Amino acid sequence: MPAPISSSLAESILVVEDSDEDFDTLVEAARGLGETRTIHRALSGGDCLALLRGEGGTHQAPLSLLPSLIFMDLNSHGVDGREALVVIKSEPRLKEIPLVILTTSANPKDLTFCYQAGANAYHVKPVRHDHYLLLLRSILHYWLESATLQHLMAEAN
Amino acid sequence: MPDGENVAALDVTLHTIDGLVLVEFEPLELSRTNSDAAPMSFATRVQPDYYAIIKKTVTRLQLAITLQQFCQVLADEVSLLSGMERVIIYKFHADQHGEVVAESLLGDQPPWLGLHYPAEDIPKPARDMFAKTWIRPVPDTNVALAEMTPLLNADTGKPLDMTHCALRGVSLLYTEYLKNMGVLAGLTMALRRGNELWGLITCHHYSGPRAVPYQLRAACEFLAQVGSLQLQAVEDRENAAYRIKLEEVNQQLLTMAAQEGGLASITDGQPSLLGAMHASGAALFHRDRWWRLGQTPDEIQLEGLAAWLMAHLHTNSLTDSVYATESLVADYPPAAAFSHVASGLLVAPLSYSGQNLIMWFRPEVIQTVNWGGDPHDKPMVSSPFGIRRMPRRSFERFTESVRHHAFPWLQVEIDAAARLRSLIMELVIVRAERMAGLNADLARSNEELDAFAYVASHDLKEPLRGIHKYAHQLMEAASGDEEEKRRLNGLMRLTLRMDTLLDSLLHFSRVGREDLTLEKIDLNDVLADAIEMVSSRTSDSRKQIAAPRPLPQIVGDRVRVREVLVNLLSNGLKYNDKENKRVEVGFIEAHESSLRSNFPESSNGHTVYYVRDNGIGIAPRHFEQVFKIFKRLHGREEYGGGAGAGLTIVKKLVERHRGQVWPAVGAEDSTGSTGSTFFFTLNAMDEN
Repeated sequence: MPAPISSSLAESILVVEDSDEDFDTLVEAARGLGETRTIHRALSGGDCLALLRGEGGTHQAPLSLLPSLIFMDLNSHGVDGREALVVIKSEPRLKEIPLVILTTSANPKDLTFCYQAGANAYHVKPVRHDHYLLLLRSILHYWLESATLQHLMAEAN
Repeated sequence: MPDGENVAALDVTLHTIDGLVLVEFEPLELSRTNSDAAPMSFATRVQPDYYAIIKKTVTRLQLAITLQQFCQVLADEVSLLSGMERVIIYKFHADQHGEVVAESLLGDQPPWLGLHYPAEDIPKPARDMFAKTWIRPVPDTNVALAEMTPLLNADTGKPLDMTHCALRGVSLLYTEYLKNMGVLAGLTMALRRGNELWGLITCHHYSGPRAVPYQLRAACEFLAQVGSLQLQAVEDRENAAYRIKLEEVNQQLLTMAAQEGGLASITDGQPSLLGAMHASGAALFHRDRWWRLGQTPDEIQLEGLAAWLMAHLHTNSLTDSVYATESLVADYPPAAAFSHVASGLLVAPLSYSGQNLIMWFRPEVIQTVNWGGDPHDKPMVSSPFGIRRMPRRSFERFTESVRHHAFPWLQVEIDAAARLRSLIMELVIVRAERMAGLNADLARSNEELDAFAYVASHDLKEPLRGIHKYAHQLMEAASGDEEEKRRLNGLMRLTLRMDTLLDSLLHFSRVGREDLTLEKIDLNDVLADAIEMVSSRTSDSRKQIAAPRPLPQIVGDRVRVREVLVNLLSNGLKYNDKENKRVEVGFIEAHESSLRSNFPESSNGHTVYYVRDNGIGIAPRHFEQVFKIFKRLHGREEYGGGAGAGLTIVKKLVERHRGQVWPAVGAEDSTGSTGSTFFFTLNAMDEN
């Protein structure tokens, strides 16, 4: 039984993404912004939950601190993004972490489901690479720089 | 009794009545006073072999298939046996009026066959008597009646009951009638079915008196009894033959109804509704119109009758059966206007809504039968029971009693109507089930196709994004080689095109799968939204979208209806080479029939909406193609490009609103160019 990871937040980003290309694009966008935070990767929703519980992921050593932002793809093998979203948003310890859905699905049903489950934002991945990069940059900038978040306020006090 | 003298042998009959013994003496042979040339000498010596005669007769009766044949055999046999010059079979109808159904003539008397006579020609006491007595002879109409002495039974003080006496005199009135007709001798026998008097065998002799001796009378009586016993059987045989014929025609009608021509073919095909049924007219109400055959009321009268029938059948819970009447006027007084063709009505409703009805008609009896004398023509009426004066009032009373009456429907006919009804309804149900099965299969495969399209296009997007990304990265890293750049550009352009196609496919599949949100929507608001969306998309300067009159409120899915309009409006502007692009949105109501030429039949009764443009138009030969997904009539880059799914989605959305969409040539403008028009219906409300 691994020791529970600390509740204080690391300056890291957790990306749930099974496509290498999409993961690389996200890293490319972050680096393009000059972002220095660690970017952790989970391959599925199940992988993501394991990491947040302090266990090791598929290609990832256990986290010592919780991430400050989660990107979640919806369709993955095993426990998918939808289930992981529901678990994260129902756990008091995790639900304050901003969680951004990044998916191929433009299905209104997915959209409704995710917002009702407490997703902080929902974005459809564009096929055009330059549009994709632009989108990712704006998301990263917004959640890491612009938004004032609950846990940061608490820490400042 | 004189002894030893030259006295002919006698028949002696003993009756015991109220403790008395009554003895009747009759000559053994046929009376010598008759006009037969040869004396009936055989009578005293050799009795004819009545057993052999009767046996032959019975065999002939048994061979008769129809009632008509049977009656004719009976008349012929009685004629042979009795030698009477006129033998008729007189049948009582349900209303007690009579008909001469068979006749056997030896002389040159005028025939009475086929004549009908009012019920009062044979008064009730006479009918009652024949319910008890089998035979009643009148040997000589000119012989005066002798009075019985004493008239009263000395023991009881009551009149002597001579009902069963052969020599009992008949009523003076009756013999008077017979004499007036020139009848010198008569013989009448009863024909009974069970306990009811079915008819009479009536014999008249004109050439002289004719006393039928006891033996011969007994043979005639026996014949009447045998005939009576066989009546039921022959009627059953006839009914059975009729039933078989009706069923045979029913099956043929069903076969015709099941084929191409549909139900209407049972009125104009061979056989028709009148193929077996004894009716003079038939009508079918089907697909909102009448199909008439033979003599029927006119269509306006039929409309009124059908409306009354449906109300009547519902209130009388008869919808699961047939309705039969021999006097429609009694139930439906307006029928008096057409009772000459339809006093009798037999109806088989084919659906609960009354949308399908089969009717058979029978005319008023008075129109069809040959009355044995009309007092308007001649005051003296000749009838089987005499020539007599028929008072005008009595005839009128009589015609009144049969006015608006048809011959009643037989049980076999009512059964056949019910049978045809259930056969046709079964056919309808079988068809509906087959249709429902096909619909379910279709719905299932549609759903699977939609789900497949959704998953496929969704899963295809991820690798596509990867390909585009690598092409993009290669492009950024490319050297100055223009050819390499051109190729990489092509690769990126194609991935983006594929992306557009996948988006359309995704959208189309979603249109088919997702539930509609039905609500009351004001089409004017929806159109305003649609115009705004279209305007923001196209930067075209000179365009005009107008509705000539305010649009109605309908029930529909606001977002989907807007999408229909957006697609049609943007097509109208996009495929438009005019300097002033115009699109008109309007509607045509169900009753505006002058504007609805060439509309599909299924749009009848529905408001039809349209979007009409002055654009490049669509050749009628391409009308079908425009709705096919990814089917483009123009080059990929012409008219602003596009995936080619717009109209496919419009069609799907309209169909999901239980409507249909069809293209037509648009409005002609001054240059002779027509543009195109898309008509559509939205009947989502029909679901509720």
